[in-house]
Amino acid sequence: MTAEALLILSVIAPFLGAILAPYLGRSLKARAGYPLILCFLPALFLVQYAPAARANAPLTAGFDWVPALGLSVDFRADGFSLMFALIVAAIGILILAYGAAYLGKSERHGRFFSYLLSFGGAMLGLVLTDNLIALFAFWELTSISSFLLIGFWGSRKASQDGAEKALMITALGGLALLVAVILLAIAGGTQQISTLEFATLRSSPLFIPALGFLLLAAFTKSAQLPFHLWLPTAMEAPTPVSAFLHSATMVKAGVILVAKFGFLLDWGLFSQIIMYVGLATMFWGSYLALRQNDLKALLAYSTVSQLGILMSLYGSGHAFAATAHLVNHAAFKAALFMVVGIIDHETGSRDISRLGGLRRKLPISFIIALPAALSMAGVPLLGGFISKELFYEEMFHEGFLPMLIAVTGSIMTFAYCLRFLKVFFGPLRCENPNVHEASLRLWLPAAPLSLAVIAFGILSINPLKGLVFKSDTLAVWFTNLAAPSFGYEPGHLYLWHGFNLILGLSALTWALGIGLHLFRDPFHRFQQALTPAWNNNTLYYKALAGLEHFSSWFTHKTQGASFASHLRVIVLAFALIGASVLWRYLPENLSPVPLAFWLVALLIITDIVGVLMAQNRLSAIIFAGLAGVASTLLFVLLSAPDLALTQLLIETVTIILFLSVFRFLPRLHTYVRPRSLTLIDGLISLGVAGTIFTALLAVQTPIADRIKDFYLDYSKSIGGGYNVVNVILVDFRGYDTMGEITVLSVVAVSVFALLRIAVKRAKSESNDD
Amino acid sequence: MEILLPFLAASLVGAGVFMVLSRALIRVIIGLSLISYGINIAILLAGAGTGLAAPPLLDVEGPYVDPLPQALILTAIVIGFGTTALLLVLSLRAYQATGTDHVQELTKKPDPVEVLGSYADPERPSISPEYGPAEKRVKDNKQS
Repeated sequence: MTAEALLILSVIAPFLGAILAPYLGRSLKARAGYPLILCFLPALFLVQYAPAARANAPLTAGFDWVPALGLSVDFRADGFSLMFALIVAAIGILILAYGAAYLGKSERHGRFFSYLLSFGGAMLGLVLTDNLIALFAFWELTSISSFLLIGFWGSRKASQDGAEKALMITALGGLALLVAVILLAIAGGTQQISTLEFATLRSSPLFIPALGFLLLAAFTKSAQLPFHLWLPTAMEAPTPVSAFLHSATMVKAGVILVAKFGFLLDWGLFSQIIMYVGLATMFWGSYLALRQNDLKALLAYSTVSQLGILMSLYGSGHAFAATAHLVNHAAFKAALFMVVGIIDHETGSRDISRLGGLRRKLPISFIIALPAALSMAGVPLLGGFISKELFYEEMFHEGFLPMLIAVTGSIMTFAYCLRFLKVFFGPLRCENPNVHEASLRLWLPAAPLSLAVIAFGILSINPLKGLVFKSDTLAVWFTNLAAPSFGYEPGHLYLWHGFNLILGLSALTWALGIGLHLFRDPFHRFQQALTPAWNNNTLYYKALAGLEHFSSWFTHKTQGASFASHLRVIVLAFALIGASVLWRYLPENLSPVPLAFWLVALLIITDIVGVLMAQNRLSAIIFAGLAGVASTLLFVLLSAPDLALTQLLIETVTIILFLSVFRFLPRLHTYVRPRSLTLIDGLISLGVAGTIFTALLAVQTPIADRIKDFYLDYSKSIGGGYNVVNVILVDFRGYDTMGEITVLSVVAVSVFALLRIAVKRAKSESNDD
Repeated sequence: MEILLPFLAASLVGAGVFMVLSRALIRVIIGLSLISYGINIAILLAGAGTGLAAPPLLDVEGPYVDPLPQALILTAIVIGFGTTALLLVLSLRAYQATGTDHVQELTKKPDPVEVLGSYADPERPSISPEYGPAEKRVKDNKQS
């Protein structure tokens, strides 16, 4: 297989898997997750192109999508993209294995894996694409597939709410990104991200608005203040989903955006904005994480906080430190989520206040969780320590305030990591008396991540060269892979930097973090006392309620109170306009009416009377159908064979549709119109009929013949057909017909879905009787 | 001819409007299809006239009926079917869900924070162990 094909396949394979998953899920149930691992393998094989990416000669591949519009699908595995693709693929594989063990027997497995794989594919596409428009498309795909995943247990109210919140906020960012990529493409004169030039963009007046929208997109997706509210409620998703989406991939999309466009954003005010928003998010996230009793919510807020760190580092241009922390965070956070899943699975609870001493019952989970949590806290010998040192160092250079926020945030980070680990220590507290260690299938996928956390700290890639503590760790391989993308020199990740101020600050962090943990009860009371009356969530619900209120007010004001009264206004106006022209046009030179027309007219009038008089559903439907047949005959008489054929087909299908749902339809004679209303409605109907009648009399003289002649003249030479009506439909007005087909497909899907629910419901009701 | 056909179109539309103004959903649907029959005839008359001419096929002798309104009507017929089908099934579901085919007042949605508690608003969790989120979740699971 050629390198180009592999690159394209690595994005397409998960989508193919998503198509296959429902079938596998039916026969293999949860175990379908294992064969589906294959879908992430092409992306993992991209590792062989790492040397090329390192040498700044990245693998590229692509094909034209809509050449006429200059749209093409380009992929480019430059260092950073490749590194992230590897992370997505590796964690994706572990999550599939974990999900296969985690899901119960009665879940909808096919659907679950299908959503998960399409999410993985979208994420790979997002990092590997080199085209602005494709970037937007993949971005939206991640939003939609994450919506489906968060709402996977859609029968639960909290799930619905979480999914809706995530979609609302990330879709807002998606719209901003659409504007941003279009502005960038116009200003830069190209859709290829790799060929965008800072100088060209800078001179365009669109530059600053484009960056503004770009930031909005990045902040919403990566849950930065004040858009962080969607991430914690998204924890209603099944835990494998949280581990994949909300630790390592989806929420990093905003960070990726800031990183990829860092060369544009590393500019004056923007870099300051990103840094301070990131730091504020870091502080607030870790503050709120300390308040959580739910293990998953604690991790969610810790993710918010860690994203803040990444955002501030990338924003202020410290790509090396940022990438190092990104790699570490992906490893420890996914491991922690998996452990929470195991705890939830085995004990039936995620409530910190009800769990304790689990290390005796869940020893393996404890061993997995310990390095991951300590790495998050920034304890030495682990990867998190090294990147936190780098973070401190960069913030130290940024000034006193960033440094202060970073240290306070980290103190709280240390404290919430201890709070997390608390469930493993102390006396055994657990509601499930028979709690025991999870099966091998469940904890095995988490183990490599925990090993990576340790390896990122102490495992030297070149042990012979110098002391272990003074040589590069495994994480540096990932981090330096991204070097050409950001233009930094390959750096080093040492465990030991000697005694310096940064180490002193770290020591201070540990001491105060432990202190904060010991005095957690007063601190909780302090937090409780400080709870503001409003926050982003209350504002969000208020805004949503306001929007609903506004739209119902607006609809009420503009479109009448009820369906019928609103219609009355419309048709009355219609009747008045018609009546005013009634006296002006009267036809001259009436032509004789052939017999056939009289017969059709008789049929139509009979049908109309029949429909109006019908007292039951069946006769109303039949009379309406007959009216349709009569109009078919009329088309035949008026030399319109295509119309006649279509009308006949449609009539048949309509009758079939009506009869197929006939038995569920409500009865007809339920509502009797008040007499006065009957009179009004009758008058209105007469008025409308009069309008139509007069309008048709008025337009009997044909309009300009030029339009007709154009079609007749060019039907053969341009459209290549003898049937002019057909040529107009499929050629001259081809887009119109395409739109029509789209509408019909949407209708077909909706009708099918609604019918299925309706029939199921009707059956279950009749069973109840 | 010049009067009969407009009269037929007008009667179809008039009857359709009367049906649409009623409150029973089935009548509304049937009324809509009557209206679309009438309007289709109206469009045909407006463009093609009532003069008897050959269908717009290039391999028959002219003069031809105007093809453009026919193309428009073809689209209208198909879209009309789509509307009818969707409306029929939708009203069927509405009838099933609410037990009535009469237009109902929209019910107000409850405040999510009140219903979901700390799930919807994790920034203000209750820290008392008696009212932890997990307990609620277990309850949720039992119900479902």
